[in-house]
Amino acid sequence: MTITHHPDIATLMAFSAGALEEPYAAVIATHLAMSEGGRETVRHMTTIGGALLNDEPNAKLSDKALERLMGKLGDERIEVPSHTPSDVPLPLQKYLPRGLDGVRWKWTGPGVATADLAWGRDGRSRLMLLRVAAGRRVPEHGHGGQELTLILQGAYKDRFGVFAKGDIADHDEDVEHQPIAEPGDDCICLVAVDAKLTFQGRLMRALQPLFGI
Amino acid sequence: MYSIGMSDNKLEAGSGFPLNDDPETLLLRVAGARDREALARLFSLFGPRVKSMMLKLGANDAIAEDMVQETFLSVWRKAHLYSIERGAAVSWIFTIARNLRIDQFRRQSNKPYEDLETVTIESAEPSGSMMIEQKQVIDRVTLALKSLSPEQQEVVRLSFLHDMPHAQIAEKVGIPLGTVKSRLRLAYERLRPMLEDLQ
Repeated sequence: MTITHHPDIATLMAFSAGALEEPYAAVIATHLAMSEGGRETVRHMTTIGGALLNDEPNAKLSDKALERLMGKLGDERIEVPSHTPSDVPLPLQKYLPRGLDGVRWKWTGPGVATADLAWGRDGRSRLMLLRVAAGRRVPEHGHGGQELTLILQGAYKDRFGVFAKGDIADHDEDVEHQPIAEPGDDCICLVAVDAKLTFQGRLMRALQPLFGI
Repeated sequence: MYSIGMSDNKLEAGSGFPLNDDPETLLLRVAGARDREALARLFSLFGPRVKSMMLKLGANDAIAEDMVQETFLSVWRKAHLYSIERGAAVSWIFTIARNLRIDQFRRQSNKPYEDLETVTIESAEPSGSMMIEQKQVIDRVTLALKSLSPEQQEVVRLSFLHDMPHAQIAEKVGIPLGTVKSRLRLAYERLRPMLEDLQ
């Protein structure tokens, strides 16, 4: 898999700092699971966190802090969790326990279906899947808020080029583009969006120029 | 019982320890020999700094203290997953503290980070990192961070140390969101030679 479209460096820095809401962190982690080069960049960024921590002043710990820690040390080790093979990258498996085949799609428009992925806590952002049939327009545009789109299957094309499996679209919010799903398999994307705009609202806006609504 | 005074702020990296007691060696001793004394030394070196980082999030003293405990308990339990290819010990400790911070303060799951760690470990990516270089790497990146413009330093620190999302940084600093991102990009461009050079 050759990744052509990468996340914005500023987004990767926010991921490395731990400052992304979970839907965005999930999209970036899934992308990175598919991108060795991306993982290397994030590993470099971790050194920024390390250097900043190293340069922190010493806050005074309580007198008993070391004793308290030593008293808790047991034999327990945290191992790399075992996991079963799946057609989705590991960071996405928690959200898709039955894989892509187990997704319950909701029809959202001609050739377009979506599925919301649950992520536990209330937040201002949403994590969802978007499925677009070949030749159909992908209803996601810069309508406010950050939006990350990762291609899991198929491809789409817009003025930035062809986005295929593993590619991520991480545009500034004011960027306008009109992606069309490429011929072949349905294009399936993992999307993190600001929750303030509902997807239906976004879809209607996307269709406005077509139907004049 | 342990010879290191916990509230003794004179203990700086490299002072008072034999030369081979660099953080990477200590961490590998925790991993290999389950060396409690090595963990105690790491705790003395970095515990006060981890606490300082936690206090920046507005945590009260007791919570920050608990977070330090949790961080080093995780260091103890996960040390065998550390390898020198993963970078400096302090960077690895940062990621553990960061993941706990996500869990505790942002009230979100750190699962995407844990899953990605699993992918990284399982893919066993090659790296030419050498232990002897790690201190130099941290020193070089620290210097490079200080050579950034004050505006760039501010956004980097607010992101990595204060755990602020871009939108919150924009609000706090009083600049557009796009400017936050461009400052971070420029900062990374300046740091990149140092970060990539170390491999």
